[in-house]
Amino acid sequence: MKLPKVRELSEAVKALLSKPYTSKFPKKPHQPYHNFRGQPIYNQEKCVGCLACEEVCPVEAIAHEDQVDPANPMRIMIHYTDTCIFCGSCEAACIADNEGIKLSTEWDLAFFDRKASQETIEKELQLCEICGQPIACKDHLKWIAEKIGELTYSSPTLYLTRLKSLGIVDENLISASRDYGRSDRVKILCARCRRESTLSTSTK
Amino acid sequence: MAKSVIPIGPYHPLQEEPEFFTLTVDGETVVDIDVNIGYNHRGIEKLSELKTFDQSTFVIERICGICSTSHPFAYTRAVEDIIPVEVPERAKYIRTTIAEGERVHSHLLWLGLAGHFLGYNTVYMWVWKLREEILDVMEILSGNRNNYAIFKPGGVRRDFNPDDIPLALRKIDSIVPTLNKLKKAIIDDPVLHARLKGIGILTREDALDYCALGPTSRASGVAKDVRKDAPYGAYDQVDWDMIVTQNGDVFEKVVVRVLEVFESIKIMKQCLMNLPPGEIDLNIKNIPPGEGIGAHEAPRGETFHYVRSDGTNRPARHKVRAPTFMNLPTCKSTVIGETISDATIILASVDPCYCCTERMAVRTSEGKRIYGGQDLIRLSQEKTQRIRRKMGIK
Amino acid sequence: MTREEILKDLKQRFKEDIVNFFDKSPKRVYMEIKPESLVKCASYIFKELKARFNIASGVDSRTAIEILYHFSLEYINLLVSLRVKLNRNNPQIDSLAPVFKGANWIEREIHEILGVDFKGHPDLRRLLLPDEWPKGVYPLRCDYTEWDKNAIRDRGV
Repeated sequence: MKLPKVRELSEAVKALLSKPYTSKFPKKPHQPYHNFRGQPIYNQEKCVGCLACEEVCPVEAIAHEDQVDPANPMRIMIHYTDTCIFCGSCEAACIADNEGIKLSTEWDLAFFDRKASQETIEKELQLCEICGQPIACKDHLKWIAEKIGELTYSSPTLYLTRLKSLGIVDENLISASRDYGRSDRVKILCARCRRESTLSTSTK
Repeated sequence: MAKSVIPIGPYHPLQEEPEFFTLTVDGETVVDIDVNIGYNHRGIEKLSELKTFDQSTFVIERICGICSTSHPFAYTRAVEDIIPVEVPERAKYIRTTIAEGERVHSHLLWLGLAGHFLGYNTVYMWVWKLREEILDVMEILSGNRNNYAIFKPGGVRRDFNPDDIPLALRKIDSIVPTLNKLKKAIIDDPVLHARLKGIGILTREDALDYCALGPTSRASGVAKDVRKDAPYGAYDQVDWDMIVTQNGDVFEKVVVRVLEVFESIKIMKQCLMNLPPGEIDLNIKNIPPGEGIGAHEAPRGETFHYVRSDGTNRPARHKVRAPTFMNLPTCKSTVIGETISDATIILASVDPCYCCTERMAVRTSEGKRIYGGQDLIRLSQEKTQRIRRKMGIK
Repeated sequence: MTREEILKDLKQRFKEDIVNFFDKSPKRVYMEIKPESLVKCASYIFKELKARFNIASGVDSRTAIEILYHFSLEYINLLVSLRVKLNRNNPQIDSLAPVFKGANWIEREIHEILGVDFKGHPDLRRLLLPDEWPKGVYPLRCDYTEWDKNAIRDRGV
């Protein structure tokens, strides 16, 4: 039964003479393929702070915290790396053309301190001018205004945010309409205050 | 026939997996075997009811690491069967490619383990080296070596980049010559013939009575395969054969799996070269109330999912049935009457995916001597060496 | 026999046992039968029609406990599901394990997870749940509450 042995011997000789199959990690760094699903990274310019990624995450690895300090209102979104399963649902659900949070090819994520394994992003928050509760992030309101075009002018919240960001509206214009009792309707309001100011004529 | 009892496992520090083997033996022959499972039960059916249909796919993917495509495939087909609706053509081809890639890597994994149980450690190392090429192909196409996150009720999540496909095809072609050599080496080897032929025979009547599935039953002459009987995906548009043999012993099961690897490679190449253009997702918005059933031919047999929806965005009931659930009880008819040294390879020839079936531990009500998993593997390797010495091959 | 002939024959033969017959699509048929006639219908489908038994799914809908037995007829690409509805307070039904061995394990699983009593099953022990799980607590029922007060449910975050 010599013949089968020659077949295996040729493979053994070939394996002996060629270089090892394994790579030289960790002497040489490992570069995964460009498709590899690694750590999600937030993009400060593109992210609008809409919380869609938080809603859709299957393992609840994204949380947010709203700071309603009137001097510096901020929304902080936190992505917990130790819970993430790298599925890509957040990237697929992102409304800013899938660019607000994107999966990079970073794979070396081991840590010693569990509290430090987070990715955060801070977005400026827009507060209601009457009650002080958060409405949405400023970038999110601008995104909606751009998306619905001329329909923006149906809601003072939307058009005032947009025009303020363009620098067209300032305090002079708003104070001129301040004394007729309906001035609350031309302010940036949260949904509850807007309903109350439309339905009743008294100001708070 | 020592009367001392040596229990080893299931939570012993020296074991690789939680296994608790106990067989009732009389001399060298096994007289009774009993199967006791439940060490890895994670309550996935109850967990599915807390997640939405889309999020549930990720839980289902992690039922098993080796068959990480079979369960989402069957689940998405079940959800689409509630409505019922057909996914776009390009999505079907993408799903088929990933499913066949998984079949190749699963069969190669099993082949390596079978070599390890028999004492052929070289086969173990070489086959797992070939398997690395397939895992690289899966990383190029889907982003990860296991847990591909590519299935979604209504289509697929990610598209294949046309620039990656030539590299994937080159990698697949690079393993075919070595696999051919391996196939000839296995089918001609006299030690394997002496070791594996005629043991662990599962007759055709028993295969039908236990409702066995997959290569376990195809080796016994039962010509059933979900891909041919109820075609789905791209299986009816590519050209491939079903492998069926007649004898039902362990050798035939090895042969069926090795030949299936070649068929899967054929399907993968055809799908990658003929990807139709178009949409990849139907964007299903809501699932009406109803029931749906989805089945897929996993590497081990037919995976069966039953989903009931009550109109909300969460499943009301999700039943998962892995193929090993129907294949494992067949060990009662294949192991009884064989020697202890053959017990490991017969139990392994069913290709038990413990994670899919909530783990397996073998226990009898009264055992005369108790062997652990490591002991059984050692006995099996010693028998191969005895056969080698008898045939004059060193 | 073609699909239409088989369905007509089933409807004819089990006229008194069928409560509801739902022909959903070319590949799926759902038949609801009375619990007393389960062994008769299942034996006929398994032995005469040469079907393959897939699995049995136990469901706790709020009004009753249902068990669906799925059989697949590969040669005409049809999947027949037999549904039986049992009383929630005392669910019991005849076992199919003496008819074909494939039903042995799944009846053990439904027995411990939903609390259904299978009369005539040769070996009704626990399959999946551990030995220290208390009797009478059925995890898949809709009114199941956590029995282990010391269990830690912590995400670590």
